[in-house]
Amino acid sequence: MMQKKTDVLVIGAGLSGLMAAAQAAEQGKQVLVVAKGSGALGLSSGCIDLWGYRLDQPEQVCDDPLQEIVRLVEVNPEHPYARVQDVLTESLAYFSDICAASGYPYVTSPGGNWLLPTALGTVRPTYLAPVTMAVDSLGEAKSILVVGFRELKDFYPEVLAGNLKKNAELAADCRINTLMVSVGGDLNPNTLAHRLERPAVLNEIIKQVKPALSAGTLVFFPPVLGERADSTVAADLAAGLGCPVYEVTNIPPALPGQRLQQVLLRFLKHQGVEVIMGCTVTAARVTGTACTGVTAVGNGKTMQITAGTVILATGSFLGGGLKAGMGLIKESIFDLPVKTCAGEWSDRDFLALSGQPFNKFGLTVNDNLQPVDGQGRVVLENVLITGANLAGCNYPVEKCGNGVALATGYKAGKLSGGVSSAAIR
Amino acid sequence: MKTDKTQVVVIGGGATGTGILRDLALRGISGILVEQGDLAHGTSSRFHGLLHSGARYAVKDQAAARECLEENKILRRIAANCVEPIGGLFVQAPGDDPAYVDRWVAACQDAGIDPEEIDVQELLQANPVLGTNITRAFKVPDAAVDGFRVLWGNVNSARRYGAKIMTYTRVTAIHQSNGRVTGVEVTNQLTGAKQFIECETVINAAGAWAGEIAALAGLELKVIKDKGTLVAFNHRLMNRVVNRLRPPGDGDIFVPHGTITILGTTSMTVDNPACSQPEQSEVLRLLQIGRELVPELENYRMIRAFAGVRPLYQPGNAAEGRAVTRNFALLDHQQLDGLTGFVSIVGGKFTTFRLMAEKTVDLVAARLGVNKPCRTAEEPLTAPVADELLQRGKKVFGIPGAQKAAERLGDDFAKVVEQAEQKPELQKMFCECELVSLAEISHVAQDETCFALGDIRRKTRMGMGTCQGTFCSYRTLGALAKYDRFAGNHRAYLSNFLQKRWKGIRPVLWGQQLREAQLSTAIYSSLFGMERMK
Repeated sequence: MMQKKTDVLVIGAGLSGLMAAAQAAEQGKQVLVVAKGSGALGLSSGCIDLWGYRLDQPEQVCDDPLQEIVRLVEVNPEHPYARVQDVLTESLAYFSDICAASGYPYVTSPGGNWLLPTALGTVRPTYLAPVTMAVDSLGEAKSILVVGFRELKDFYPEVLAGNLKKNAELAADCRINTLMVSVGGDLNPNTLAHRLERPAVLNEIIKQVKPALSAGTLVFFPPVLGERADSTVAADLAAGLGCPVYEVTNIPPALPGQRLQQVLLRFLKHQGVEVIMGCTVTAARVTGTACTGVTAVGNGKTMQITAGTVILATGSFLGGGLKAGMGLIKESIFDLPVKTCAGEWSDRDFLALSGQPFNKFGLTVNDNLQPVDGQGRVVLENVLITGANLAGCNYPVEKCGNGVALATGYKAGKLSGGVSSAAIR
Repeated sequence: MKTDKTQVVVIGGGATGTGILRDLALRGISGILVEQGDLAHGTSSRFHGLLHSGARYAVKDQAAARECLEENKILRRIAANCVEPIGGLFVQAPGDDPAYVDRWVAACQDAGIDPEEIDVQELLQANPVLGTNITRAFKVPDAAVDGFRVLWGNVNSARRYGAKIMTYTRVTAIHQSNGRVTGVEVTNQLTGAKQFIECETVINAAGAWAGEIAALAGLELKVIKDKGTLVAFNHRLMNRVVNRLRPPGDGDIFVPHGTITILGTTSMTVDNPACSQPEQSEVLRLLQIGRELVPELENYRMIRAFAGVRPLYQPGNAAEGRAVTRNFALLDHQQLDGLTGFVSIVGGKFTTFRLMAEKTVDLVAARLGVNKPCRTAEEPLTAPVADELLQRGKKVFGIPGAQKAAERLGDDFAKVVEQAEQKPELQKMFCECELVSLAEISHVAQDETCFALGDIRRKTRMGMGTCQGTFCSYRTLGALAKYDRFAGNHRAYLSNFLQKRWKGIRPVLWGQQLREAQLSTAIYSSLFGMERMK
């Protein structure tokens, strides 16, 4: 059996796990990431939602998410943001620096939150957006063209156009037109994105779109403009068309989330972090209040991993960090105490503005992100919890999923080898 | 007010109503069927899809058992594309009265069913999910039946002979003059428009709503509304229908359908015929009983729970629940109440719908002076799909996709294949779980009875698989945006559809289904912000 020893073991390769690994490496630690799958980051919008709406008026977009989080923590000290307030700003800066240095910059909006169009024609508030998605001055546009691909079954320009009129604050004289283009063949978002990186294919698209354009038109595409984070498809399209070109948010698989994952993985490689994908942690060894190691299985091999600090970034139900049985919810690796709710796990209304209770389930932690029990006692000293594993946030309605992942991952990385690993030294 | 004229108005678009419409049409009697929602939105889509051999009723109700056996044979013949002739088993578990077996075998033999005892080891080899403590097992000719397809077969066959159907249309008044029905007033549920249909006869086949319809004619008719909840598992757990060999009770029937299995049912009297909300407590009760046959039951993934209301009829209203007869009753209100031209058909079960229709139309035809005999047992619902056509289908939809589409579409399969051959973009699989192509969705969307995503679902199975519509409902919305009938409020279309799926997911919200639910909220709230959509 293979033996591995590392300072910091990160379990999970979603946004929080990758941020934790990056920051731990920054602290000079030896870091190993093991992950079962490719994480929920690839399913996400690729934007960093921090906080979407006003606490007092949940229908109103909040124009200063950082300030709103300060107020949130006052009224809801159980929210994961309460544990990371001290590092929130620096974590965002750290993230932005990594992305900018990798040639995949994220930008903030002068209005605090961006209001970015989705494929359904809604607009969603988000804090950091990749350049290809950051639609500037939607409200001043005189004309918008929504372009879809005949080969793609997950994007409908007419749906976007029709609903955008109802959901966005557009200029009174703004015209929205739609256009279907074709590249031929049977394509999914990834294969289409890959094809678009070929100049001949891109020129063919430009030829089809150009006649439908007037000066100053904003052009919206599904999020398939290039498979690689360093591809220049969106910029080349904009140059070729002579108009600003943007990708809108869409259901998975969508490329922006996948590109962000590529950027972070490449950064980790540079930092000397070892990443093993397709590797499931099947058991943990615990002595007293410390994790002394885990067993991981992948590619037919079994590994015994010993680490000073373990960062648990295994996600919620979707990621597999939590498992639900009849009337009982368990944390998958350490069987840590899970905070649920007293009443029903779900709301009768699928789209309830208060969100579904099960999305708030997770682990409770102290300010060092160590898991605690119902009495506030630390259960495992050298295990830190991040991202969707944490209890208390209802990210789908609060619009804070990637924000919480980013900040908690950053803090866990920063703390690794500090307070937590003292236990087994 | 717009008016229309026909000989017979049939109220209720379930198996019985559509069966009656077909029977009328085949005898050359003009008919219009009026349904308050979509076809099959009531009880006919909310049962376990068991085509009874009659064995379940043999001990208590010989007549019902014989009728089931006879109709079972007829449906296999006339609706082969709707029936999976998988056969059934009756198995006995510890705690079931061993003495019941002899009574049951004798009663089955009397009804002509002839159960064949099989070796328990052989049973377990073929169906390894069953518990090893099973004591005895018998084979019977049960089968699985697709209620939606049977209804559509009825409707398409009736239409070929000139019948009309009006969905989302509620009967709001029944007009009469001098003790004789003269017509019905109906209201379009989507537009509010009213219409009068002049007719000589009204057939009340409204199932759980039959009492409400009779009341419109000023008559009293008491239907017992008995809610039954069922659970759908995302696995084919066994190779045959499995019944518990004991007097009929809750949770003792498993019916495999294609890749899934349905476990049912509970039984509870309710007041409201529209009471189709499954509760988690009912699911837990089903699992508890189901485990006695399938010990690992709760470890299999559940997709959803659903509930339907059995419209039971007991003359004298003495019994309740399981004690009420599953027989049907044809009520001639001319004899009972002195109202000529009004007939109610109540009770019964899906398996015997054709016979119920035959008896009803026999009476109505005699009154109308039509002496053509019933032909519904002879003429198939749909012509079998030609092999050459199936081969063409396989080229555009793949082998499993073409087979499923051919079974679902029957006579319409040829048109859908042709469309997909002409426009390759229509070959895309919109619902990957149930293999429903854009061509099939576009085809049914053009039917005059399609107004909502749920109507497409009932006609194609779009959204009924593992993902419960998370991906395909959005795609379908997109593909339909170009049709006038679907150009309305997208939030309403999509949220109505997702909410109905949600209703069935909530009672089984654990394991894989909770994971799937989290993905669904991540997409519709986190990515699309739909909870705040205008």
